[in-house]
Amino acid sequence: MRKIVNAVLLVLILLVGISGAIPGDTIILIKNATIVPVKGAPTQNGDLLIENGKIAKIGTNIQAPAGAEVIDASGKYVYPGMVAVMTAVGVTGYPGAGNDTDEVGISTPHMDPYDAINPEDECIEVTRLGGVTTVQTVSGTRSVINGKSVVLHMEGGLAEEMVAKRYVAQIINMAAKEQNKYPSTQPGIVSFLRAQFDQAKEYAEKRTEKDKAAKADSKDENDKESFAKRNLEMEALVPVVTGKVPVIFITNDEVTIRNALEITKEYKLKGIIRASTGILKYTDRIAKENIPVIWAGTSGIPRRWEPHDLNYHTAAVLAEKGILFAFDPGGYGPGNRNVRNIFTPASLSVAHGLSEKDALEALTITPARILGIQEEVGSLEVGKTANVVIWTGSPLQGRSRVETVIVKGKLIPMTSFQTRLYEKFKKIVHERMKKK
Amino acid sequence: MERRFTALLCALAVMAACAWAQDLALKGGTILTITNGTIENGTIIIQNGKITAVGKDVQIPNGIKVIDVTGKYVMPGIIDSHSHIALTDINEATDPVTPQIWMWEALEPGSDSILKTLAGGVTTVKTMHGSANIIGGVNVTIKLKYDRSVEELIIQGVRQQLKMALGENPKRLYGSKGRSPSTRMGNAYVARKAFVEAREYKAKWDKYEKDKQAGKKDLSPPKKDLQMETLKMVLEKKLSIDCHTYRAEEIAWIIDFCKEFDIDLLQLSHCIDGYKVADIMAEAGVFYGGWVDSWGFKEEAYDGCPYGLQILYDSGAKIVINSDSPVIGRYLFLEASKVLKYTDIPENEALKMITLNPAESLELGDRIGSLEKGKDGDIAVFDKHPLDSTTKCLMTIIEGEIFFDFSKESITVKGGSR
Repeated sequence: MRKIVNAVLLVLILLVGISGAIPGDTIILIKNATIVPVKGAPTQNGDLLIENGKIAKIGTNIQAPAGAEVIDASGKYVYPGMVAVMTAVGVTGYPGAGNDTDEVGISTPHMDPYDAINPEDECIEVTRLGGVTTVQTVSGTRSVINGKSVVLHMEGGLAEEMVAKRYVAQIINMAAKEQNKYPSTQPGIVSFLRAQFDQAKEYAEKRTEKDKAAKADSKDENDKESFAKRNLEMEALVPVVTGKVPVIFITNDEVTIRNALEITKEYKLKGIIRASTGILKYTDRIAKENIPVIWAGTSGIPRRWEPHDLNYHTAAVLAEKGILFAFDPGGYGPGNRNVRNIFTPASLSVAHGLSEKDALEALTITPARILGIQEEVGSLEVGKTANVVIWTGSPLQGRSRVETVIVKGKLIPMTSFQTRLYEKFKKIVHERMKKK
Repeated sequence: MERRFTALLCALAVMAACAWAQDLALKGGTILTITNGTIENGTIIIQNGKITAVGKDVQIPNGIKVIDVTGKYVMPGIIDSHSHIALTDINEATDPVTPQIWMWEALEPGSDSILKTLAGGVTTVKTMHGSANIIGGVNVTIKLKYDRSVEELIIQGVRQQLKMALGENPKRLYGSKGRSPSTRMGNAYVARKAFVEAREYKAKWDKYEKDKQAGKKDLSPPKKDLQMETLKMVLEKKLSIDCHTYRAEEIAWIIDFCKEFDIDLLQLSHCIDGYKVADIMAEAGVFYGGWVDSWGFKEEAYDGCPYGLQILYDSGAKIVINSDSPVIGRYLFLEASKVLKYTDIPENEALKMITLNPAESLELGDRIGSLEKGKDGDIAVFDKHPLDSTTKCLMTIIEGEIFFDFSKESITVKGGSR
């Protein structure tokens, strides 16, 4: 009897091993599609092979390996999954269950959204069904120094399974003035930042000295901590002031942009400007200083004296100047869960002069580059993580549908709480109508 | 109030006669008529502000201004039946019942928001009171005739709509002040109390008018109440209702409520859960007025579901896509294109959601919303098909007059600030 039980157990273990419990072990072959790799020219009637979670081959007439799931995508288009910056995907929570963005405090550089990621956030399914497979989730935007941000792939049962990269950027809001307390003005914010950065630099130096001393003198490695009192806030800023982690500066006018550029230069930071207006005045300087831009102002309404299409046309100017730019989903936090609409500013910009190629890059490889994950995602290239989406047309078209989503080489079920609501109420409404 | 409004309408009638409108022919475009299919290489004639001919072989009258729109797309001017543009004030958020408020008294014809919205091909908007109050103010439907007189902007000879609002907004606003309503029960009570009083008010006035007609002596009129005057107009069907609501049970409730008081409910704004009660909406003949894919931006909006438009459509409920935003109001055509992403609703029906359907929800279906002989010459010209998300509006025409011209207004033409 025991032998039989053991044999059954062994078979079960083997079955689990084979059946796909290990992420990315499925083989998928997409056949006969127009493959738009973003980097490089499209392939007509192309095939794309996915193995072990990676893109293994792109070409024509690729033979299906044994056990491969073959998807006939004739007449369809294959694009890399879109990459969205500045989102709150994974931390917005359910209604009434509380929201985990924006910790209280004027300076909270140590806040890490990774600590609040909820892989069951319904926004994840909705977002990936819209063709967005990777997001940067940030801790908040309302404080001056807000905290860290992480990059997540839109698949995984645990935060650690979803995460692609930790602490990709610190988020600083140049416009987050305090009410009736310091800093309540723009010069106040600049000065406040200087003080924080000076302190972080000093901390970094002291910490290094004391660590060295601790290592030299202490007999017990555990004593090390007692020499340099840790300051978690400053520890979060050290990689920023040493140029290891970029800063995304949220700006809201030309003054905040100028000060963000100044601070970047003064402290030799890896600055990134998130702008919603006023960027055109600084394009030459930004191009010269190689500062990436997150352009959040496309749909913003120009001021009374400005032409109606000023903001629609801005991305075309950024592209013309050779500035690295990505689109912002437009609005952060629980107020905007529609990260799937990241294509909207791109489409509006194409209508007003941006090339479709530049628009697609600004939704895929450029945000990947800004987040430092360009080797992993953002284009269809052999060896990259298989975040692949099959569309009925260009992602820039509102009418285009997402037919298949593959994240980290895994076929994603094409369902979300919204498709489930649809099925449920289609039935309920239909039955009620039948009764009448 | 009613008399004042009638006086305004009379003034409007006079204004209409001394036409600003011009005669115009648009030649060579692809005409999306909405009601009679697509005409390739067609011509459309506008005379005295009205469309006098649409077709392939149309004779252009001598001396008429001709615009060549070959290769371009010509559609009816877009209509947004939920907007807050061109208003100096939006919410009289001081009491849950404020029907004495008339939004045309906050109307600013020189508002820059009109210019910016014209650039999105929009010609008509219903610009509305906010959602702070259970019973807000009377909305006003206007043509976007930038910087003309109020009388020219307001569309004459049509019922205006009283704004009502249920759900979280009034609850939160008054609840946070320690006042009622702070619950949906309170919301329902406030609405019912107002209309019960309005019925009594109307009965008193009706009796007075009847007695007066009968020649009774020593009559003294009932005390006039400006709030009740507006609600009396609603009971007399001189005004209709647009109600802001999100949740399914509220939608069903307001439909029942309006039946109970025999008042006309034309549009449900936001209507996030509309798809859950699509059959009830269809039966009541009330328009879904909302977005395509908004969801989750607050608790009562959590169940927003773009696929739900299919259920509404299949049930026979009429769908209107609204902006409720000066930003989205500039690209309603792009919003409409997403209907094709999430549903199998045909293209022309998606276009109707920003043209003929809102026209009908405003009771203007016989005057605007499609390109037909006899309708107002309100037109938007696009460089590509309006459901191509990379299209842009080139020209916006109201009653034969060009109010927006991309070739003169664009940064790419002027190269900077104007």
